[in-house]
Amino acid sequence: MTAIPVRATRKTRLLPGFPRCMILPTLLLAALILIPFAAPLITGADPVQIAVRDRLAPPSFAHWLGQDEFGRDRLARVLYGGQVSLTVAFVATTLACIVGTLFGLIGAYFRGPFEFLTTRLSDVVLCFPPILLALLVVTLFGPGAGTLVAVLSVLYFPSFARIAFSEALRVSSLDFVEASRALGTPSHRIVLGTILPNIAGPVSVQYSLTAAAAITIESGLSFLGLGVVPPAPSWGQMIRGARQFMSQDPLGILIPCVALTLTIYAINFFCDRLRDTLDPKGALGGGKDETSVPVAAGMVPADETADVVASVRDLRLDLMRPGGPVNVIEDVSLTLRANQCTALVGESGSGKSLTSLALMGLLPGAVRQARGALRLRRKSGEMVDLGALNAKELEGLRGNDVAMIFQEPMTSLNPIHKVGAQMVEAILSHRAMSPSDARARAISLLELVGINEPARRFDGYPHEMSGGMRQRVMIAMALTCEPRLLIADEPTTALDVTIQAEIIELLQRLRTEYANGLSLLFISHNLGIVAKIADRVAVMYSGQVVEEGPAAQVLNDPHHPYTVALLESMPSSHEDLHSARGDRLRAISGTPPLLDARPSGCTFHNRCPIAVSSCADARPPLFVSADGDRQVRCFRAPEAGLEAAR
Amino acid sequence: MLEFLLRRLAAAIVMLLVVGTIIFSLLVIVPGDPAELLLSTGGGSATQEAIQNLRNEMGLDKPILAQYFGFLANTAQFDFGTSIVDGSSIADNIALRLPRTLEIIAVGAILALLLAIPAGTLAGLRGGGRFDVIASAVNALLTSIPGFVVGTLFIYFFAQVLGVLPAGGYVAFAADPAQHLQMLILPATTVALHLATIIFRMTRASVLEMRGHDWVRTATAKGLRRSLVVRHHILRNALGPVITVAGLQLGILLGSTVLIEFVYNWPGLSGMLVTAVEQRDYPTVRAIILTVAAIFIGINLMIDILYSLLDPRVRLQ
Repeated sequence: MTAIPVRATRKTRLLPGFPRCMILPTLLLAALILIPFAAPLITGADPVQIAVRDRLAPPSFAHWLGQDEFGRDRLARVLYGGQVSLTVAFVATTLACIVGTLFGLIGAYFRGPFEFLTTRLSDVVLCFPPILLALLVVTLFGPGAGTLVAVLSVLYFPSFARIAFSEALRVSSLDFVEASRALGTPSHRIVLGTILPNIAGPVSVQYSLTAAAAITIESGLSFLGLGVVPPAPSWGQMIRGARQFMSQDPLGILIPCVALTLTIYAINFFCDRLRDTLDPKGALGGGKDETSVPVAAGMVPADETADVVASVRDLRLDLMRPGGPVNVIEDVSLTLRANQCTALVGESGSGKSLTSLALMGLLPGAVRQARGALRLRRKSGEMVDLGALNAKELEGLRGNDVAMIFQEPMTSLNPIHKVGAQMVEAILSHRAMSPSDARARAISLLELVGINEPARRFDGYPHEMSGGMRQRVMIAMALTCEPRLLIADEPTTALDVTIQAEIIELLQRLRTEYANGLSLLFISHNLGIVAKIADRVAVMYSGQVVEEGPAAQVLNDPHHPYTVALLESMPSSHEDLHSARGDRLRAISGTPPLLDARPSGCTFHNRCPIAVSSCADARPPLFVSADGDRQVRCFRAPEAGLEAAR
Repeated sequence: MLEFLLRRLAAAIVMLLVVGTIIFSLLVIVPGDPAELLLSTGGGSATQEAIQNLRNEMGLDKPILAQYFGFLANTAQFDFGTSIVDGSSIADNIALRLPRTLEIIAVGAILALLLAIPAGTLAGLRGGGRFDVIASAVNALLTSIPGFVVGTLFIYFFAQVLGVLPAGGYVAFAADPAQHLQMLILPATTVALHLATIIFRMTRASVLEMRGHDWVRTATAKGLRRSLVVRHHILRNALGPVITVAGLQLGILLGSTVLIEFVYNWPGLSGMLVTAVEQRDYPTVRAIILTVAAIFIGINLMIDILYSLLDPRVRLQ
């Protein structure tokens, strides 16, 4: 096996393990927190020294930011005021964090009444707007920094408790925690040594959020004159004092406003980046509504007879990555005919789904069609090139001429809309029909796919149905406009074995009874099911079709070593398929290559039992059988009587 | 559905009771004599007679349980007693001022929703695009400016520098509608701005999340128009979490409006509250906070019901 090349372009870092996107926010935050505490180094002025003669003096060499309404040095007041605001906020947040996290951990670990207390407590505290609760306490105890710290920490500890609780619950059900519990590790060591480090991320995000909120409340109360007691400086108070003089001296309000905003901004910025670093999923995005545009090819394949419903010619798809495009589909050609079921077979990641999505014009935004033609026959009989259609024409095609059933029935239906409404909306977007006619049609389709009480189910929600039923709904929905091509992407993978058989039976029945002439593209990795349903089989490996032909021939007399290996790795319940094999289950050695690390030559050569040294040199071409009905992409195919095409 | 409503209603009533109990017990757990505490200003202590009077007035001389049930019974009838400063009826005062506060919040909330939901949706649909990057950056900055700072800067800019809007104050709508609306603009915009940053963020995140779901692909595969996919299968789903957060924020807003009213001299609940806190008029403060908490619980009840209409799965929980 060849070694997978490792990207060696990573820059060496100053701090190993410190995420690069955290450097800027950390520096900014550290600066804004440290500068106020370096006040004595920056200015020798006293923040409470009054000089009435110099009231509202503009900036001068002695007083860089000027003097306030009492002639006090404004720079000193901003810096020392920052000390007070930051100290109140961080002491309160730290207290809340420690107490809250302990509460949450105890609640999660011992459950019972602790759990109730932890979860309900935050519900109650959430009922009080924080600033009002603070005012209530100030009424009782009078204003002052001490009161503020006390009330802010009481105010915020429940949110820490809640987060620590839910995170600890999640972590304590993980395997390694269960394991150390089983090993008899004492409770306190599990909680502090195992659970605590694992919930540190979300708790630290909450910490920065809370610190920002605490600064806002502290300055707000001081602004009302109910927070830090004068003459001690604080930002809120500075704004309060300067308000009356804003027309003569706008600097007076601007300076503390900027200091306050900048500090809160730095904390928020840090918090956002921290969250993105801890949970990269949220930052990625990438919706399933995003489709990339198919490319017009302009060529018409010669073999396009009237019964061809869809054709894929020399399709090449690239995945756009920051480091450059990575090829995912290479030279795939398929011809789908009316009345035929073509199975697309292969391991996950071999490109089956992408090929089928390309036929729907539904390729994810990050995948680009680099070459090839995708052609579909419309109901009018006309063959269209998907790349030549605009977005609106594609919408008219999808669901109408070609429909698709997806792998996950549990998530493929919108949970908040009634099942019937989701079907009707598909009908109405392609047919001029009254809503009541559409309803009747949808109900008859539900009945057709074997759903009991279709009229009642029509008004039901997806969550009221089992997976098998939902997949039936998906099938009914796909059939609403009588498409010529139905793509089923692993329609049974997520279902129980018994349900699987029912769905396959249903698809078979529909092909013969309902949608006459329907072409079915059936994607699966289950060769047993494929043997039951398919007329033709195309085997995909690592983005290429490696073998294609009539189902019976391919499955009983495979020519490509990968097809052979796939068949050998199947459990023996499908006796009809392994007459030749004895009774041993074989695993395919090695693993499928990563997209960006495909071996040179034949992509299968490093797992292939019959590979020869020249297999590593060039990609094998397609070899075609004498009657033209079978194709194999293997250098050793000529030994089975196949010839190189063209 | 009916069962769901009743369950939620019962939960809200229990919550009200808990809130009332906590507010009541705050006086009980305070170390020392609350009357003495309230009358002490700075270092000086009040006369024994004044303390005794206050104790009688607040009913502190009765047994605790009698005090508690008396408090609950009075509160349930909206009888909050009288101010210990000037003896006026607290309930009347609240009834006069509360609508003014709710006016700012309602107008601000509508402005915020109108601004933030379309902007958040657009940013979410073009996640990582130019509009998203710029809007998110502006939003991050606006989130970091506290409401009273925005208010102060607004007054400086619109009233002092440009002179186009009044710096603050209040005229009843009946007395002078145009003047009333003019004075409403700045406070309502300040409230809206703060709320909008939160709703924008939530809408964007929710739209981004919903776009990743399989049913969106199903909808596209059905051949629905793009606008229909966005409205029915992304936005409708995304709104549930957005209104929950908006409701929660509305409650928090009831608090932060105190500051904004103060900045603009808007005679809502806040002026009353700040004066009451300064004069340590505990019954008044307590009544205002109870009122706000009750409104908050009411809003959350409505949000729960609205959410259940948007997402049928909620009714099962």
